[in-house]
Amino acid sequence: MIAAEKIEIDSRYCKGCMLCGHVCEFDVFEVGQTRSALDYLMPRVANLSNCKLCRKCQTFCPEMTLSVVAKKKKEGGV
Amino acid sequence: MNPLAEKYLRKEFLPFLFCPGCGDGIIVHSFLKAVDELGIIDDLAMTSGIGCSAWIPVYMHADVLKVLHGRAIPAAIGLKASRPSRKVVVFSGDGDCMAIGGNHFIHAARRNIDMTVVVVNNQIYAMTGGQVAPSTGVGSRTQTTPYGNLEKPLDFCKLAIGAGATMVSRWSTAHPKELSRTFKKALNHKGFSFVEVVSQCPVQTGRYILGSGSPQFNLQWIKDNCLPAKNPAQWAELEAQGKIPVGDIMQVEKSEFMEEVARMNQQVKEAAAQGGEN
Repeated sequence: MIAAEKIEIDSRYCKGCMLCGHVCEFDVFEVGQTRSALDYLMPRVANLSNCKLCRKCQTFCPEMTLSVVAKKKKEGGV
Repeated sequence: MNPLAEKYLRKEFLPFLFCPGCGDGIIVHSFLKAVDELGIIDDLAMTSGIGCSAWIPVYMHADVLKVLHGRAIPAAIGLKASRPSRKVVVFSGDGDCMAIGGNHFIHAARRNIDMTVVVVNNQIYAMTGGQVAPSTGVGSRTQTTPYGNLEKPLDFCKLAIGAGATMVSRWSTAHPKELSRTFKKALNHKGFSFVEVVSQCPVQTGRYILGSGSPQFNLQWIKDNCLPAKNPAQWAELEAQGKIPVGDIMQVEKSEFMEEVARMNQQVKEAAAQGGEN
């Protein structure tokens, strides 16, 4: 099954441009309430279960600060 | 943090000095992806002039030469002449490469020197505060044209083809995968390869020309206006509609300048060894 384990956003470098939320077709992101080290409102991963691992957000992040971590396949699993 | 950033960026220089939502970071990602797939980070030698986009190579763990405004291509020619084994890449903006350094660009393309020139086109002089550039469209209001621009914009790709470049492409920041593929092709191409990247600048282009400073609006504008063209007829059709056609326009093989120089040196040496006066 295709699923993301987590979406990491580095709070040191995020500038809150929200391009990740704009390019995402599955409504994974929303504007969050926490601020990054540069004092911008960071995106929040609201619906991680919607993620289809297309990694558009990772490609379009202009600060290269977002990364999508895929779930590892279980050894010998189904 | 992005795995490519972890691997190839100078962490001590981060964060990028680009404004929130700037397209230059997307270009860094696409370029690093191409470099990672080819595995040539140690062979790279990059030069850049002055401007926002000239900061792109500075963040990468590779050899970088930062030179005078508009003089990135002459520095790259010298680099290529002294180290022919290196892959020379020039990162430049529309003002840096086409206004101040326009003549250098034309003559480097004419000689077909083996290098890759990446021009980031954001339709305005962004770093200095939004003045009119050679790529600004007719009627656009900028800081120096408050009643609208009267000058026709310069078509960089047609200029490159006319000057004799052997590989010409145009993509935008809304097409990062295609851009990465084209970077790979350009880095492998023997001869002068020119890649124009239409990029968003929410702070200057967005505010002055498009009417919104929102990064999402600006990226969507690029997505709506930069449309892929498969052949020259489609290209002309899109241009007539007022859109910006993108795609790989041409790629031809021609004799490369530095190889010709090396061959001539060899001939002169052989003639001198035989005692003749050439």
